[in-house]
Amino acid sequence: MKSLELLSEYSNYLEEQKLEGKKIIAFMSHDSIPEELIDAAGFIPLRLIFAGNDDLMNASHDYLPPSTCSFAQSCIGYFARKPNLYKFLELVDYILLSNHCVSDICVSEIISDNFNVERLNLYVPYTRNESAIKYYKIELENLRKELENIIGHEIPDQKIKESIDKYNLFKKKLAEIEKLEISGSQKLEIFQKAILFGPKILNEIEKLIQKNREITSNDSQTESNNKKVIFTGCSIFLGDYLMDLIEESGGEIVFFNTWIGHNYISQIYSDKILNSTDDPIDLFLYRFKTNIYGDHSVPDSLDNEISYLETFINEYQKENGEKLAVINHVIKFCDHFSLFQSTLKERLQNKGIQVLNLERDYSRANRGQLSTRIEAFMEMI
Amino acid sequence: MSLFTDDVVTFKSVLRLAYNFLAGREYLKKKKFKDRRKLIAVALPFSDLVYSAGGVPVFPIRMEKFNINAYLAALNSATNLFGWDLTTKLLTFVRQFDVLKILDNVLDDVIHTINHKYNELYELGIENGISSDFCYGITSLTGMFISKGKNLDANINYTIRCSAWNKYSESIKKYVPKEIWVDIPPRDMGNAVELLSENIKAAIGELEEVTGNLVTDNSLNKQFRIGNQVKRFYKTILYEFSASDFYPCNPATFAEILALLGLSFQDYNSNAQRYLENISYLVKEMRKRIEKSIGMDVKGMPRIMITPVFGGWEPETHEILYRLGARTIYADWELLGMLEEINVSKNSDPIEEYAKYLLNAMMKGVGCDQEALTDSYIKTAKDLNVDGLVFNQVFGCHSISNCYSLLRKKIRKKLEIPTTVINFNKIGENVEQVKTRLGALVEMFR
Ligand code: SF4
Ligand code: SF4
Repeated sequence: MKSLELLSEYSNYLEEQKLEGKKIIAFMSHDSIPEELIDAAGFIPLRLIFAGNDDLMNASHDYLPPSTCSFAQSCIGYFARKPNLYKFLELVDYILLSNHCVSDICVSEIISDNFNVERLNLYVPYTRNESAIKYYKIELENLRKELENIIGHEIPDQKIKESIDKYNLFKKKLAEIEKLEISGSQKLEIFQKAILFGPKILNEIEKLIQKNREITSNDSQTESNNKKVIFTGCSIFLGDYLMDLIEESGGEIVFFNTWIGHNYISQIYSDKILNSTDDPIDLFLYRFKTNIYGDHSVPDSLDNEISYLETFINEYQKENGEKLAVINHVIKFCDHFSLFQSTLKERLQNKGIQVLNLERDYSRANRGQLSTRIEAFMEMI
Repeated sequence: MSLFTDDVVTFKSVLRLAYNFLAGREYLKKKKFKDRRKLIAVALPFSDLVYSAGGVPVFPIRMEKFNINAYLAALNSATNLFGWDLTTKLLTFVRQFDVLKILDNVLDDVIHTINHKYNELYELGIENGISSDFCYGITSLTGMFISKGKNLDANINYTIRCSAWNKYSESIKKYVPKEIWVDIPPRDMGNAVELLSENIKAAIGELEEVTGNLVTDNSLNKQFRIGNQVKRFYKTILYEFSASDFYPCNPATFAEILALLGLSFQDYNSNAQRYLENISYLVKEMRKRIEKSIGMDVKGMPRIMITPVFGGWEPETHEILYRLGARTIYADWELLGMLEEINVSKNSDPIEEYAKYLLNAMMKGVGCDQEALTDSYIKTAKDLNVDGLVFNQVFGCHSISNCYSLLRKKIRKKLEIPTTVINFNKIGENVEQVKTRLGALVEMFR
């Protein structure tokens, strides 16, 4: 229900923006897209974060084989079907193709070729060594030029910097949400909304934080019996029923170690870094270089993720006396998370951490089985 | 029973290639323990740097023990004693006694042994937690590293467009003592050549550390020259012989040779000089046979390109097509831009030239998107002047196999040749579909 409200609110927002003459750039990449540059150029960045279903996946099979990640399939499905609540996708002017994974390339290309959406490109290197950083700079400058060509004038550095400041402040606020004592589903709703609307909803987020702080300080703390878990792997996209299944099974997600969640929020600049340069491109490069938890890069993404999870779990245990378990969410056919799932589980289990590898697609038929597996896991921990 | 056994025996160059592929284990053991050389795993045709550093590149399936039959064992002893020329005599001699049995076994060793091993290693990958949703190539390669990775000194990885490939490359680090990376920029933009050159230099530095040898411009150029000659011979087979109306053998054997070249081209059977000699001999042998009209008149038999096969394919395919009256062309490396030569002219910088070669392959062959990739399909089909195209859709491949719908449209528009798609998951699993689809395709030529 909440996602329906959110979608209709978002739809209204985009329509208003279009009336004001703004153009929309959609993208499905989960990382390394300089949304501040898009914002500074006067475009609306629209992240495709919508979960799929059977119908949407089927609609993609004219273009891609069914052995494609079901999120990617659904992205095509949305453009092919344009379901009622997603009519706003008709407002999309550009699709920004990136190579976060190869499905990102294929899907963006298909959307551009078949649904009358112009294409922009931003390829991201796979490592984060010195040459890779220099290469990323070439791509960023190229994107900047492409955007400048569309708007017909330069995007001043100052404007990009302002946008970076704006998003930075916004992410800092979101980081506070991470620490609030609210349910996992509430956090997720906020994160999803934040990813869609961006800093425009900063006030709303601030109020929410304030309100929740008051509630927490007035309430006498009641211990919940829910099983506390970390959620990692593929993000939970908007409209997915997975969060309901976890909470219905007695699980409580205390930390979203996913792109919609900590990966996005944690990409914050310190004031020192912000003030260290006048060139906003340098800041994008800094972010790219220090983004060691992104799932796009090689060769250490898995090691970094495992050591992060381990540290988080240990620290949480010290503070709260409770050992967190891990749900590793794998969207079927996801190149990034599927391949590593057994190693991730094995390595964390060797450290005494319980892990549920939850691999699934978006088909309705999956729901019962998923629910059973989550329930069994919750009973076990 | 095979259709083309009789052709194999007379092709001693093919026997050499096959033998060197299958007998890799013994050869590599010798290199490692006796000669104290370092074994460095490669996959895809990326062995040049390893050779230049004095390492021994190995496509890891070649470290496996293959069931080499008595005939090949005899061949081995004979070659050790007398060299290959006498072996041909030996073959001819043996053939008079028990032709079918021996020759069938040879063929089984070359083709089915390799495929059997592939399937075995695929299963090993699955048993060790690789989801069956991944492509056959990645799964069996993982199996290869699980099985023999510990005997390697290092592994060299190149980043490519396929995210599954890059992640697979990261995942095998737990099976090898050291990983060396060459990060190829996704597009040829700005000073990408320079940046790639930096990455190549860094990889060379690591290779030097592993092998204890110094890589020089000379050692690089020497290897590139060998590679260039191999590529020229490979292209001669693809462009000249495969297009000829008279084949030096029957078309199924011809396809078999192309398949063997495709596999062995990745590491040059761990000895580039020897590989060059073999392929040059193969070209000579083919030419001689054609001149002497030994072989088969293939005029009127449609030439069908089957691609991509490097990530796994049903090896019955070319026999089926042969029975249907068609010829099979396997030309993945040409299509992916890997058969382009590396400039070794005077005053050229070998590292920079290698960088240009890699970027060219990534941009024009593999392609940074489906548009570029499908263009390279169309170009290769045109250049090779094939009559039909079979797209091998590998289950779980999200990078190449999913471009079929775009490719089909392009073929209709630009090539107007018959095309079909066959699905591949694992060797031997889908032979019936392959037969039906290929049957329907060949019907279109009647
Ligand atoms: S879920 Fe995985 S495969 Fe799908 S788009 Fe995201 S990273 Fe790519
Ligand atoms: S391109 Fe396809 S077949 Fe090749 S490694 Fe990637 S997924 Fe496998």
